[in-house]
Amino acid sequence: MASEDEVSLLVIVVDVNPIWWGQQAQREPEFNLSKCLDAVMVMANSHLVMTRTNKLAIIASHCQESHFLYPNKHWKAGDVAGDEVSSGSGDGKYELLSVANDLVAEEIRNLMARTQVKGHQTDTLLAGSLAKALCYIHRVSKELEAGQDMKSRILVSSWFPFSSAVYFCIIFVQMSMGIFGLIIYYILQVVKAAEDCALQYMNFMNVIFAAQKQNILIDACVLDSDSGLLQQACDITGGLYLKIPQKTALAQYLLWVFLPDADQRSQLVLPPSVHVDYRAACFCHRNLIEIGYVCSVCLSIFCNFSPICTTCETAFKIPLPQMMKPKKKKLKTAN
Amino acid sequence: MDEEPERAKRWEGGYERTWEVLKEDESGSLKATVEDILFQAKRKRVFESHGQVRLGMMRHLYVVIDSSRTMEDQDLKPNRLTSTLKLMEFFVEEYFDQNPIIGNVLLFEINTFFYICFDAGNPKKHVAALKKAVGSTCLGEPSLYNALNIAMQTLKHMPGHTSREILIIFSSLTTCDPANIYELIKTLKELKIRVSVIGLSAEVRVCTILTRETGGSYNVILDESHFKELLMLHVKPPPASSSSECSLIRMGFPQHIIASVSDQDAKPSFSMSHLESVDEGPGLTLGGYYCPQCRAKYTELPVECKVCGLTLVSAPHLARSFHHLFPLDAFQESPLEEHTGDRFCQACQGELKDKSVFTCPACSSVFCTECDLFIHDTLHCCPACIHTQGAS
Repeated sequence: MASEDEVSLLVIVVDVNPIWWGQQAQREPEFNLSKCLDAVMVMANSHLVMTRTNKLAIIASHCQESHFLYPNKHWKAGDVAGDEVSSGSGDGKYELLSVANDLVAEEIRNLMARTQVKGHQTDTLLAGSLAKALCYIHRVSKELEAGQDMKSRILVSSWFPFSSAVYFCIIFVQMSMGIFGLIIYYILQVVKAAEDCALQYMNFMNVIFAAQKQNILIDACVLDSDSGLLQQACDITGGLYLKIPQKTALAQYLLWVFLPDADQRSQLVLPPSVHVDYRAACFCHRNLIEIGYVCSVCLSIFCNFSPICTTCETAFKIPLPQMMKPKKKKLKTAN
Repeated sequence: MDEEPERAKRWEGGYERTWEVLKEDESGSLKATVEDILFQAKRKRVFESHGQVRLGMMRHLYVVIDSSRTMEDQDLKPNRLTSTLKLMEFFVEEYFDQNPIIGNVLLFEINTFFYICFDAGNPKKHVAALKKAVGSTCLGEPSLYNALNIAMQTLKHMPGHTSREILIIFSSLTTCDPANIYELIKTLKELKIRVSVIGLSAEVRVCTILTRETGGSYNVILDESHFKELLMLHVKPPPASSSSECSLIRMGFPQHIIASVSDQDAKPSFSMSHLESVDEGPGLTLGGYYCPQCRAKYTELPVECKVCGLTLVSAPHLARSFHHLFPLDAFQESPLEEHTGDRFCQACQGELKDKSVFTCPACSSVFCTECDLFIHDTLHCCPACIHTQGAS
C-alpha cells in the first residue's frame, strides 16, 4: 500500500529514430511508430492511474535531439481547466490522462515534422536522453515537499542497434575504434562514426554510473536485437532487461513486466536476468579477453605485453629476472 | 636553513569585517544573502582541472586517525572522534566509487595502533569496522613518527606504478617521537610517499614541513562542513609524480555465471572471500565470478584472487575512472538578465529562476544552478554536448 508520502516517478524514453522505423515499416507493416506509441501511452496512463501521487515523464529520443513529450515546458498544471475544454471532458475520462495523451500526440507530430535527418548521424542518441532524464529526476526530487520520498525509474524502449559482442573503454584521437554493428550499416566515414560511437560509450557509462549512485533503476525493453550496453545498464542499476519476441504485443509486455515498481517485483515471477558479458575487449585486436594487461596511466587494455602503450605512448618497465648475487663459497682449509 | 615561502598570517592582515557580508533586503529578511553564501560555497567545489596531466589512477591510500586525548574535545559534535568516523564512512564510500580499482583504504589509529580495517576491496567492510570503532576511548599522546613508520613499512612494498599516499587526521598539537622525525621525512621522500594532513586543532609546524617535503597538502578545518570538503578533495586521483613508474598490470576479467536452481549442472559452492570472514551467512551460492587463471569463485568484484594473486575486475570498473581522464570543463556563469531566449534549462526543462545561468562552452546550452552542480558532481558529461557530438 503506497502511502501519501511515496512518490513514484516513471520516465519513459522512446526511440523515434525515423530510419529504423522506416525500415521496420517495410519489413512488418502492421507494427509502426503510432502503434508503439499507443502501447507506451497505455503504459503511461496505467502508471498515472495506479496511485494519485505517481508522476510521469516521456522523452522521445531522436537522432539529433531528445525532446520531452510530456510534461511540456510551456504547459503548466494550472492551464488544464482553462484551455482544454474540447476533447478531454467529452468522454468522461480522467482529465489528466486525456490531456497527457493529446499533448504527447501533438508533440510527437511536431517533432517528426520538424526534424530532418542529416548525413550520417543516424543513430539514436540514447545517452543524451538518459542524461536529460536524470537531470529531470534530480530537479523533481528537489521540489518534493518535506517528508516525501521518491523512487524513480527509467524505462527505455528502443531499437538500439548496437551489437552486444564488443565494447570499449576509451578513445584517443590516434586510434579508431570500430565498435558496434552500426559501422556495418553506415560506412560513409568509418573513423568519424567510430569515434562518435566510442564517445557515446563513455557518456553512456557515465550516465549509468550516475543513475546507480542516485538509486534510479533503468529498465530496457528492446524491440529488435540484443544490446550489450543496455544489458549492462540494467544489470548495474538493478533494472529489468527484456527483448520482446512479438512486437505487436508490446502493450502486454509493458504492462505485465514493467509496470510494477521495484518493491513489488520481488513478489512476481518475471523474465530471468540475462547473462551479461562483462569481459573487456583488447585495444589491438578487439577480441574479448579474459586476462589482459592494463596500462596504469590511461587504463587501456592489451592482450599481450608490449613495451609501449599505444594510446598514451608511455614506455613501460620490462620486468627482468632478478640478478642473483654470486655466493662466496667459503674455502675450507684443511688444518 | 629553511626556505619557507613568506605567507602573511591572518593576524598580520587587515581587519576582516565579516558582519558586512550579511545584508538585509527590503523586507528585512536575510534569506537572499544566506542562499547566496550557500551558492558560493557550492560553486567553490567545482574543481580546477589539471589539464593534460598524468594522474595517479591506481592508489594505495593509508588513512591514519588520531585517537589521542584531544579527540574527546567536543568542538565537533558529539566529539571529534565520532564526527571523524562518521565522515570517514562517507569518504570511504565516495573513494571506492571514484577509484574502484585496487584502492586500499587502510585505517588505523595513531595511539592505540590497531588496524581498524585492513585492505578490503569493497567499502562495506570498512564501513562496518568504522562503525565498530566509534566507542573506543581516546587516551594519551599521539606519535607521528610511529604512525608514519608503520604506514611506510607496508607502503614501501607496493608496486612502483601506484600512487602511495598517507592521509593523517591529526588533532593534537604535540607529538612524542622516539627518533628524529626529519630523518623519517627524508626516507618518505625517497620512497615517493605523499603525505597529507588534515589538522583539527591548529597548524603544527612539523606537519607543514612533512607535507611540503613529500608533496602533499596540509589544511586545518574551520568546522564540520569544511572538514567534509577537505576530505572530498582527497577522493580525486592526484597528479602523478614524474618519477613514478608506469607499467602494464596483469588483470583478469571474469565472466559472471548465473545459474538457477532448476539448472541440472549447477552445483552450489563456497566463495573464496568467505574463507576468512566469520560473520557472514552460509555462503553457498550457485553463480559467481570464476577467476580465469585458477577458477576460484568470488561473489563480488573487484577482488584480488587469493589463490593465484591475479587482480579481477570487470570492464565497468575501469570505465568508472574515465571521467578523471576526460574531465568536464566548468561552465561559464552569467547573470540571468543577460540571457536572451527561452528561460528554460535544457537539461531538466525547469524554469530558470536563479540569478545566474550556466553555459556550456562547447555547445552553448544553458543550464540552471542545480543541473550544473549535478552535471559536474555526478553525471560528468554535458547532456546537450552528447547530441551535438552525434550531429557533427
